[in-house]
Amino acid sequence: MGLKRNVSLSTALGYKGQGPYLTFILHRIGGSALFVFFTVYILSLVGVQSMHTLMSNWLFQAFFLVFGLFHAINGLRITILDIFPKLIEHFRIAISIEWVAYVLVAGFALFVVLRTAFGG
Amino acid sequence: MAARTLSIKKRGLNFETFMWAFTRFTVIAMYGLIIVGVLGGLRLSMITGVNFGDIMYWAFFPNMVSNPLGQVWMNIIARLMVIAFVLVVCGHGVHGVLEIWDDYVTSEKARRWARNIVISYAIVASIIAIYVILSA
Repeated sequence: MGLKRNVSLSTALGYKGQGPYLTFILHRIGGSALFVFFTVYILSLVGVQSMHTLMSNWLFQAFFLVFGLFHAINGLRITILDIFPKLIEHFRIAISIEWVAYVLVAGFALFVVLRTAFGG
Repeated sequence: MAARTLSIKKRGLNFETFMWAFTRFTVIAMYGLIIVGVLGGLRLSMITGVNFGDIMYWAFFPNMVSNPLGQVWMNIIARLMVIAFVLVVCGHGVHGVLEIWDDYVTSEKARRWARNIVISYAIVASIIAIYVILSA
């Protein structure tokens, strides 16, 4: 794959893959976010106080929950389709189910984080 | 879209197939560890009367808070679970990060360097995590 691509992100998101392509891109963003989260976790374990403070920040938690949960749920869908290849015929339905599950789980996680952050 | 019917034998065991299998196995291990970890945490919470959240927090940050679990076997199991999870996450993450990197960087040299740096980072991070979790 070349380094110079004449395709903008918006065009790429409108690529023929559309929904599946969106999950592909979000899976990568989520994976990269979790890599950063893992680094912050290790630094926090080492005793870097600023990293521990960062992990306690509600915005940080909300960001990583939104992307991390998508990565986990989308990964589960990919794994299931890999283990049971006959289900690939129904991958669009699987993606729809995945979105419903994601919205419910991420919505609940965000609600808990925001409620804890702002009280009430 | 037709379902794939190509067997592992026909695909051949090259690097890509191995890493594909490795990534799938590590992710299945992660889901398994999450389920066992949550159920185990709930069970320990029931036995000891300690808040489930406090147990999970201590398990992942043993150097930040005091140990809420009384018995030795609980400590050992909890620590081993977290170490296993960290190792599996590292293995899974190495392949994921390199796959993304390889998609955007075409130079052989840059790819080789990235591979060395990411694998070294994963090894060092794992050792640090294991040391802190065991020694705290």
